[in-house]
Amino acid sequence: MAQPKLSHEQGPLSPPVFHILLALAGEERHGYGIMQDVAHQTGNALRLGPGTLYGCLKRMLAAGLVEESDERPDPALDDERRRYYRMTPLGKRVVHAEAKRLFGAVTAARTKLAGGDA
Amino acid sequence: MTPQSGPIGMFCRIYSILLYAYPRDFRLQYGIAMQQVFRDRCRDMVRASGRLPKLRFAAHIAADWLTTTISERAVAVWSAGRKKTPRNFVTEWAVTIAIYLFATTTLVQAYVVPTGSMEGTIRVGDHMLVDRLTFAEPGTIGPHILPYREPERGDIVVFLYPEDIRQTYVKRVIGLPGDRIRLDEQQVIRNGRRLIEPYVRHIATYPDAYRDNFPLSPEASTTPRGRDMLERHVLNGEVIVPPHTLFVLGDNRENSEDSRYWGFVPRSYVVGKPLFVYWSYDAPTADLTDWTLDHVLDVAQHFFTRTRWERTLMVPRSQTGQEAGGAQ
Repeated sequence: MAQPKLSHEQGPLSPPVFHILLALAGEERHGYGIMQDVAHQTGNALRLGPGTLYGCLKRMLAAGLVEESDERPDPALDDERRRYYRMTPLGKRVVHAEAKRLFGAVTAARTKLAGGDA
Repeated sequence: MTPQSGPIGMFCRIYSILLYAYPRDFRLQYGIAMQQVFRDRCRDMVRASGRLPKLRFAAHIAADWLTTTISERAVAVWSAGRKKTPRNFVTEWAVTIAIYLFATTTLVQAYVVPTGSMEGTIRVGDHMLVDRLTFAEPGTIGPHILPYREPERGDIVVFLYPEDIRQTYVKRVIGLPGDRIRLDEQQVIRNGRRLIEPYVRHIATYPDAYRDNFPLSPEASTTPRGRDMLERHVLNGEVIVPPHTLFVLGDNRENSEDSRYWGFVPRSYVVGKPLFVYWSYDAPTADLTDWTLDHVLDVAQHFFTRTRWERTLMVPRSQTGQEAGGAQ
């Protein structure tokens, strides 16, 4: 399934992709669960619309970052069956690499800006 | 779990139509899941109170839909350009354009306010989007699709001017079918109770016995429909609003050509309700109804100075007058 040509090798992940991966880090979720978790992570700054969400998931599936687990109802919502997603080992490596990259960027920014302020 | 399944069901049906703007493969793959997500967000929305979050939600969904239909289509065209026939894409794009047209004609309509009869609430030169769904009559699209409601007292409505349906007016609903209406010294008396109307502007002009004490002392400037109203629907010095019509007045009460002069608005002439102002531009009435070359040049020159930026995204609100000295 996983194709060798992966978008993450060319550069940083887009914010929606990064946050979707984070949302799937702990557990499997369905679409709305991902959306809620992303909103929670970012303090409501990033709200994914349905088109953005599934557009990203489609590309992430193609890149092998996530996979579908199964279809089952969410007891918290209603009895309707929903499609669940989980992160692949590759997705895990990618999100770790991205977090590391962001951490490096934040550290660099902090050093530079603190120097300027003090 | 779903206390207001009516409107949610309707929004979901509209959303399912909008999904046809996505490429076929994408829609078949994710359409159902997207509808589920949309419905879940609608349910959350119903719990949130206030109009602004709902507007923001609608704007967000619209923006998401617009950008992702375009990007998914671009991806589909690009990836298919390398393998398959181009004819599918012509039909696919035709569907998308048809859906865009549906969205811009059935759901909303742009409208510019040409006169100052609602001054204080809505200004000359306000360009706004009109929500065509809320007051749509059942049966125009199908009784099950629309979560329509009847206009209520205090609602601002956009409607076709009964004397000339090429013109579109905006006024406030004062009387519903069966209401008894009269004016006493510029004050509305509805069903025997004096209305306190905080939204009304009394911009002093010459006194006018008919305008201020409607429907006493009929005057000559009424239209045929207005005369019909005065002849057939006045009882004991009050107008009685007949079935399937509305009695409307402008908020700029002394400078408004409204139901006092041309009678009732048939329910079927109601177009919708103002959603929000997307652009407010200070221009004379004549320029707003017709886009002449002069007006285009005027806008080009004065766009930044004559645009009333503070009015952008303003929501004209329904506001019911309080009935003084009466029980609810």
